[in-house]
Amino acid sequence: MSLYNAVQDWMETTWVHHVVLDYAWSWPTLETLHFLGLCTLIGSLLVMDLRLIGFQNLIPLRAVHALMPVAIISFGINLISGLGFVIAVPRMYTGNWSFWAKMICVALAGLNFLIYYTMIEPKLLKAGPTAPTPFSAKAIGVSSLVLWFSVLSFGRLLPYLGVGGG
Amino acid sequence: MADWVRSSALGYPLMITLHAIGMGVMVGFALILDARLLGRFAEIPYTALHRFLGLAWIGFGINFLSGSCLFTTQAAEYVVHTIFMVKMALVVLGGITAAILQNIVAQESAGWAPNVAPTKVQVIAWLSIIFWVTAIVCGRLTAYI
Repeated sequence: MSLYNAVQDWMETTWVHHVVLDYAWSWPTLETLHFLGLCTLIGSLLVMDLRLIGFQNLIPLRAVHALMPVAIISFGINLISGLGFVIAVPRMYTGNWSFWAKMICVALAGLNFLIYYTMIEPKLLKAGPTAPTPFSAKAIGVSSLVLWFSVLSFGRLLPYLGVGGG
Repeated sequence: MADWVRSSALGYPLMITLHAIGMGVMVGFALILDARLLGRFAEIPYTALHRFLGLAWIGFGINFLSGSCLFTTQAAEYVVHTIFMVKMALVVLGGITAAILQNIVAQESAGWAPNVAPTKVQVIAWLSIIFWVTAIVCGRLTAYI
């Protein structure tokens, strides 16, 4: 038995699996949390990434940086609610290429953030608060927005792609 | 248009994806603006958020258009669907509070304490949060009740 199947079989034995499937309110609750989380994630990212791209340069970069915890907590909410979905019906997701496309975009967005955090941000915070942003920062901002809107799209299209009927 | 959205393989998924994007943009910005007016992220100038809210209206517009297309696919069922009509009322209220806040920030924020807006503005910000969050809850519940 492969690890891939073993993990999914194990998921189906957990309390999360049973709670989500046994209580009618649990799926809509998870969905609502996931949607609210994505709103605050997109909202905070739009302000931060547009600032990186150079929109509203008059705002000090540090001020916009204060939104980072919102993005991280929002991602956390979506990670946890997302796990709720996957543990409930693992094979509905792992058999859907849209789910994998979404996860790849999340991973790339995480990588994008790491590059920003370790290589770009230290330089930006040392420069003047309203200095024009270098090309690397603009590129990070653009790729962040492209990747997260892709995550949103692949997620929304889950019922329609990769299930042979979309 | 209703037929195309209802029956084409592309139309319905395209419309609901646009609807999700517009929701993220509009509600996302609105919630950040509301948080700012309540005193969070105090280093961001009020006027800067006012400009970002202009972008939020693009999200609202995307949702108005995509929502209209989605609505036409089952208009007769939607108008008698209580939770959907509640959502519509909340979206209208959310839009109105966003417009009011945009106006107030443009006209009066120069005279505010730099950290937090006056109490009456905070009340409107809280209402905005309640309207948008409840609208999203109702939107999700439309599929269930």
